Amino acid sequence: MKKNLKGKVLNIECVAKDTVKLQFSTPLREICAGQFVSILIPNKTLRRPFSVADFAVRGSEANAHCEGSVEESEPAIIQEADFAVRGSEGGVITVLFKLKGDGTSYLKSLKIGDNIDYLAPLGNCFTLPEIGKRALLIGAGIGIAPMLYLKKVLTGKGVENLLISGFKDEEEVVKGSDRTVIGGSVMDNIQNVIDEFKPDIIYSCGPKIVLELVCKLAERNGLAAEIAMEKVMACGIGVCRGCVIKLRDEASGGRTVKNASVCADGPVFSGSEVIWE
Amino acid sequence: MGIDAKNIDLSVDFGKFKLQNPVMTASGTFGYCDEFDAFLNVKNLGAIVTKGVTLEERPGNEGRRIFECEAGMINRIGLENVGIEKFISKKLPKLKEKGINFVLNIAGSSIEDYVKLGEISQVNNIGAIETNVSCPNVKSGCLEFGTDEKCLYELISRIREVYNGFLIVKLTPNVTEIEKLAVAAQKAGADCISAINTLKGLGVELNFNGAKVSKSFVQGGLSGKCVKPVALSMVKRIKEAVSLPIIGLGGISCLKDLLEFVAVGADAVQIGTENFTNPDIAERLTVELAEFIEKQGFKSFNNLKEELRK
Repeated sequence: MKKNLKGKVLNIECVAKDTVKLQFSTPLREICAGQFVSILIPNKTLRRPFSVADFAVRGSEANAHCEGSVEESEPAIIQEADFAVRGSEGGVITVLFKLKGDGTSYLKSLKIGDNIDYLAPLGNCFTLPEIGKRALLIGAGIGIAPMLYLKKVLTGKGVENLLISGFKDEEEVVKGSDRTVIGGSVMDNIQNVIDEFKPDIIYSCGPKIVLELVCKLAERNGLAAEIAMEKVMACGIGVCRGCVIKLRDEASGGRTVKNASVCADGPVFSGSEVIWE
Repeated sequence: MGIDAKNIDLSVDFGKFKLQNPVMTASGTFGYCDEFDAFLNVKNLGAIVTKGVTLEERPGNEGRRIFECEAGMINRIGLENVGIEKFISKKLPKLKEKGINFVLNIAGSSIEDYVKLGEISQVNNIGAIETNVSCPNVKSGCLEFGTDEKCLYELISRIREVYNGFLIVKLTPNVTEIEKLAVAAQKAGADCISAINTLKGLGVELNFNGAKVSKSFVQGGLSGKCVKPVALSMVKRIKEAVSLPIIGLGGISCLKDLLEFVAVGADAVQIGTENFTNPDIAERLTVELAEFIEKQGFKSFNNLKEELRK
């Protein structure tokens, strides 16, 4: 159930050029890969949505996904931090963001112990494949964020996976991938990766142009694809209709078009249903 | 602290339509029903105003729909909505079951559209409707209904003929003399005026990649904190022009804003864009209002209103 929550900054650090990792406490004990949080920025009308790049629960009965549970883990940083939140039930949310404007500059200026007001968990989840299937994860630029969490969940579930990510240059590389493409496009050599790794499903997040290529690639190879999309949002819960995209209406056999909100019906969509405008 | 403001009478009596408190939520910012129950108890609000509903389901506008600007936002959703049929079959039973006090916001592109929506509202015992008159009237070359007093008079009169419930007319601020439109609505038999709808605005985004320029424009309705002074001015002018009760809206984000609207003539208020920023704001304002009345020593919301209007 989504809620308006308060948390405290547990860690904030620059992990690559203009790229910040922010970790904050949460009373939530469950967020699945694909979901996002929407953070309040003082003096801004709209909250800023961020994919969950990692989530860990302190204490037992951790459940990182509706289906697959991951190992109980406590990020090292919390052991060092000494706050009122320590010992409280709940977990730690990690988001990654590129510095883009006033909102992200504000977040970057936060200090350990500062308050975070956010809505979570928002949106839907990646569908996890069965054990024995192989998953290829493609992250383009900061689109690596939800792929990192998905990779952790898949690995925890015992699903063989390969995360390949692409960055403009060396300085922008965010760690955590199995393979990293620097310069050029993450899609340049991707057919060879598919031929070699033989995935059953492709997951991706990144700019629209990459996601469209991923969907076409999956179709060409007869593979399922799930992509996490991004769009400017207002409400974050599907009521304002500000972030809609067009989908093929499966109910009509794909002949008609329907609207879907990225914030509530997504952000994860099946590659075959998205209509690229 | 320690103040028990629970017994303060915040009720607003519009005759045909009653509110337990003066805090409503504005059309298009709160869904159709209980969508905000994740953040507050919708039942504790004065009333919600549904997303604008048209005769047929509408997909809304193509392209970018949202643009954030200084102290506000611009939207061009284009009235995406489920249509009256689905509203009646899917949303109305839930509103009734949950006991949510609501106003149905209606929109159309011809007088006939509105009349049909009025008839359907009448048949389904919908207690209050708010007429969005900021829509283009296709027959008159797409001028908005709410910008021409004769056109507005005809529209509201025709709805009045078929609908006996509480009829609110939501005025657009994109006019030269809002007084004339308010008077037209009153003469046509409206029960109440809500003001203001969004202002026309343009968001401009420029991107430079070296000497290469790319730009995008978002032309739509401006809302949020930045419109409050305009809204206050409009509400005051309407108050001076008509005797109808007024629901004030436009940039309300805190108790101080709410009180300012009441002081210039609003009998109730709607919270719009702020629902996106702080989704529990509407319920929080009902609590803060009661506490304020108690703390200051007013007797009730009505008493506070009288004092603010002196």
